[in-house]
Amino acid sequence: MTLDRSVGLVFVVVAVLAPLIFSDYWVATLLTQALFLGIVAASLIFLSAYGGMVSLAQVGIYGIAGFALGNLTTNGNTKGLNLGWAEAPGVLVALLIAVLVALLFGALANRSYGIYFLMITLVFSVIANLFFGQVTSVSGFGGISGIPIPDFISRTAHPDRLYLATLAIAGLVYLALRYVARTPFGLTLQGIRDDPVRMSSLGYKVALHRTLAFTFAGFIAAVGGILFVWWNAQIAPSTIGLGATIDVLVIAVIGGLFQLEGAWLGALVFVLLNNYAQDVSFIGDRFHTLIGLVFLVIVLVSPSGLMGLWQRAVAGRPRAERADSAEAAGPAGLKPAG
Amino acid sequence: MAALRGTRRTPVAAAVVAGIVALAVAACGESDNSGGSKSTTSAAPANTSTQAPAAAEAPAPQKAVAPRTGTGTPIKVGVLSDCQGAFGSFDNQDLAGVVSAMSQFAGAKPKNPNKPRDGWTGGAIGNHPLKLVGIGCSDDRADTAIRETRRLMEQLDADVMIGPLSGDESIAVANYAKQHPDKTFVDGSAGAQDTTLKVQAPNFFRFNGDGAQWNSGLGDIAYNKLGWRKAAVISDDYSFGWTSAAGFIADFCAAGGQVTKRVFPPLNTTDYSSYAQQLPADVDGTFVAVGGAGLIPFLKAYEQAKGPIDAKKFMGNLFWGTPGQFEQLGPRVAGAYIGSAGTAGDLATPAAQDYANNIIGKWFKKIPPGGAAAPQAPSTFTYGYYVNTWGLIKGLEAVKGDISGGQKKLQQAIGKVVLPAPYGEIKLDENRHAVFTNYDQQLYLKNNKLAVKTVAAIPNVDQTFGGTFSKSTPAPGRKFPGCEKRSLPWLGKAQAVKVDQ
Amino acid sequence: MTELASSRTARRIGRGLLAIVVAFPVIWVLFIASGTSFGPAVSDPKDFLITLLNGITAAALYFVVASGFTLIFGLMRVVNMAHGAFFLLGGYIALDIQRNMVGGGGGLGLSSAQVGLSQWLLPLLAAAAIVGGVGLLMQQLFLRWNQGQDLRQALITIAVSIILADQMLAHYGGIAKDISWPRTFDKFVNLHVSGVQYTFTRLVILIIGIAIGAALWLWLKRTRTGMVIRAGVDDRDMVSAMGINIQLTFAIAFLVGSALAGMGGVIGGSFASLAPGVDANWLLNSLVVVIIGGMGSLGGAAIGALLLGLTTNFAAAYLPSDYTFYSIIFTFVLLAIVLAVRPLGIFGRPA
Repeated sequence: MTLDRSVGLVFVVVAVLAPLIFSDYWVATLLTQALFLGIVAASLIFLSAYGGMVSLAQVGIYGIAGFALGNLTTNGNTKGLNLGWAEAPGVLVALLIAVLVALLFGALANRSYGIYFLMITLVFSVIANLFFGQVTSVSGFGGISGIPIPDFISRTAHPDRLYLATLAIAGLVYLALRYVARTPFGLTLQGIRDDPVRMSSLGYKVALHRTLAFTFAGFIAAVGGILFVWWNAQIAPSTIGLGATIDVLVIAVIGGLFQLEGAWLGALVFVLLNNYAQDVSFIGDRFHTLIGLVFLVIVLVSPSGLMGLWQRAVAGRPRAERADSAEAAGPAGLKPAG
Repeated sequence: MAALRGTRRTPVAAAVVAGIVALAVAACGESDNSGGSKSTTSAAPANTSTQAPAAAEAPAPQKAVAPRTGTGTPIKVGVLSDCQGAFGSFDNQDLAGVVSAMSQFAGAKPKNPNKPRDGWTGGAIGNHPLKLVGIGCSDDRADTAIRETRRLMEQLDADVMIGPLSGDESIAVANYAKQHPDKTFVDGSAGAQDTTLKVQAPNFFRFNGDGAQWNSGLGDIAYNKLGWRKAAVISDDYSFGWTSAAGFIADFCAAGGQVTKRVFPPLNTTDYSSYAQQLPADVDGTFVAVGGAGLIPFLKAYEQAKGPIDAKKFMGNLFWGTPGQFEQLGPRVAGAYIGSAGTAGDLATPAAQDYANNIIGKWFKKIPPGGAAAPQAPSTFTYGYYVNTWGLIKGLEAVKGDISGGQKKLQQAIGKVVLPAPYGEIKLDENRHAVFTNYDQQLYLKNNKLAVKTVAAIPNVDQTFGGTFSKSTPAPGRKFPGCEKRSLPWLGKAQAVKVDQ
Repeated sequence: MTELASSRTARRIGRGLLAIVVAFPVIWVLFIASGTSFGPAVSDPKDFLITLLNGITAAALYFVVASGFTLIFGLMRVVNMAHGAFFLLGGYIALDIQRNMVGGGGGLGLSSAQVGLSQWLLPLLAAAAIVGGVGLLMQQLFLRWNQGQDLRQALITIAVSIILADQMLAHYGGIAKDISWPRTFDKFVNLHVSGVQYTFTRLVILIIGIAIGAALWLWLKRTRTGMVIRAGVDDRDMVSAMGINIQLTFAIAFLVGSALAGMGGVIGGSFASLAPGVDANWLLNSLVVVIIGGMGSLGGAAIGALLLGLTTNFAAAYLPSDYTFYSIIFTFVLLAIVLAVRPLGIFGRPA
């Protein structure tokens, strides 16, 4: 077994046994948060590693799913639509809405590449944020609180179940993304990443492909959004503001923009930093500056993030199962203008 | 990345403070409020020599208890304040309120008389030491508030929490409290109406007022003193703006006025010109509940659309009186009447002066970044956190510090607390929300600089506005409350106040 | 063949839809406008004119800020996500300078009666220069050695913006402040059309916008540096292969672009206010303008600014009163339309 695989296995085992090893707070708050943030970051990394599209709209879509769920399932709240649906239909419709919006966004952005794509998707996220902030019938500035979560994973009754459910879903997401990357769809996507013009001349519908890839990533992000709402019981526009959008990008970069595993590694580092940085006395209130500095250092030193550092450290071991050309080539359109 | 989020309007959060302008109104509880006492209010800084009837009601200065420590099981206390975001600069004011209350009434001592955020040592109730386990840092956002609340209550295992600072944070915290009935929460300074009126968590207590209550009495002034008959209202298009406007509308319409136009610029507006243009010219005055970063652009846009501002045709809410903020408004608004947040820094009663000088000013020399501590005592933040902590302490005293049994006895005890607070007695209603004395204020020029004075006291202001707001009425919004003539318990009962110069 | 025909009909349908989408708001504003505060333009030309002027003058400010952004991007392919932070920094610096010049410290709001013309112009120029310097510093330290790695550079500027924003919060606090217009500007001008009295301050913004536009155009079209920049926008490698000191040109462009952001901040701080969060708003504004207009194109920035300014102002004024909060949707719709028709912006060109 390769070094990579064994380390990965250790992580998985520790994650499964976490409720026994770590304190309740760690499991219920920090680790669960790292897991669903990792899911959203994974959707970003999937698009960037296999599709060459660095998208900042993931958070917007995650928010749309969350807000949809909030509006559908709350009842008797002063905010939101208060439709009072049951959980199951609520979740399905929320996912559907988010996927449709992702389809719309994808369709609008599918002919943009590289940095243009980054900017357009950023604008999508911010507009989603402003929409929920201003359209008070579905949210308003304060957001929706008191969102019910399914009884079988309620935090007070079964504090570990949400963590385990999130862990299971994160695992499924990871496997699904790895699998999709190897299907014809995924391979075509990688081809488009490397050379869209050639793919188009080979007869592939490049724009359609990119739209579908974006929609699929949107679905993953939406799943993350549902988990977030169950964890937090509330969602507000600030959850998906510019800050939150950049945070997910920071997570992806810290972890490694071209490796799926980086999503969860980055999320873990970020969550821990956020939680403990304030306790360090000379940082105190200025922990945002600290996060900015950490981010800056990582981008300057190792643009492939922590996973990149890891791979450099163990350089030479086989990389057959990676999206190999991902790191070497870099996402299309981000190469020097040529 | 909190700082890079989109512009937020400052939700509730006590920003007010500033003095309360004493309205020279008929003192002896006369219901005749005809603004006959014209200029005494606006022109002369009033050292009104009217007999304020409330001599008997005026709370007395509070003596400090002796320093003490305990040896029993500690009561773990968490404090949640904003140290980032729009209200981040008030972080030390919040903590000054908490620590001063702890020191004055529970025998604690500040760790650093120049930096409230360092917390306190000592302090005990019934031999149970009061241990500060952590101070949360939020940034005006509900998500951050919940994350910090979790950190305090779950990671650091606090038993009770004091906070948060702002409105939407408090709704989230109240919902969290509902899920954790074996812990107790008292508010910090947040003024969102829903937190207590709608969420009604049995273990969340609030000794400070909400945004609507803070504007009580203004309608009276507008109708009777300024002679307004028709008014327009402009407010931020979200819950705090609506709540603040609702207080004015309920008050003004109860007095007999008509609100003919309501304009709601969305949050994140930078260019208010179109909204200023929409304000009608044929009203007698405009009530402005635009806050935070929007107030100044709105005022400028108004001037640029309609010409110089006549302060007698404007009224503002607490944002107009926030120290640190109102000085930025410039002399254009001198003369305008404004709501407060239940505090009256220039109140000349012994208790009020004692609070500033011998409580806040005793325990702290400096509250950064503002400077000297005593002048910051009337800040809504300092006062809000102070009275809530005091209420918690009194509740703990009633149960002798025994928080076993899921804290049920403590929660019952806090519900019955009556605080002889320096700016007026505070009790809790059946939703565990404060009934208190509100103050109306006025901006004026003192040595060519803008200053605030208190003009009237409105006793017994409750959250429901005489039944206008309840759990079953819609939340304040663009159309609610409508403009009807209602009966408000305090209409016509404004009292004069004595103020320092 | 079929693909060509079907794409032609698709395009025709698209154009038809576009025409309707553009024509409807125009007709609404001019003739219908029911349920709004003002009523249609034909019956209330005064308010229409004022709204139009508001839109144009807002566009001038959007242009000043976005032009810096597009200049940097066009030449160096750097998406300067710290542009908004530079805007805010410029505003704060000018604020400090103005308050110190006028005296009476204590950070009090000033009225324009207290402020003379030089006490506005000097802070403007000083702030622009300082922020230009800060931008140049950032470029030399962090961006010079990794050219071509667009994403990495964007991430670096994001990191810088996070740090800057937090530090500004620490130094200037969270309370909103504003810069005061000088008394020379703070008056009304009679436009002699439909009895409109318009504030001179906004006209000043328009004048500055036009002046900056003209200056940039002259610089780019008539000076040698400008010529190098235009060539560099077209083909960077070729320019440096021809032995021209492209690094110097980059530095100059970054200096100018950041200075424009700072200048925009001073103007924005004068007509609105400065507070945490303003940086994010203006970054978004610049992004929208440049996406609409096309990266690297000054003319595109002008058109984009005009479209954005008009859309936001007319949406705020002419939506029925119950729906004013949908004005943000209009920005999105504008963006969506432009992207659907021209994915690279109106005057954009591929990398």
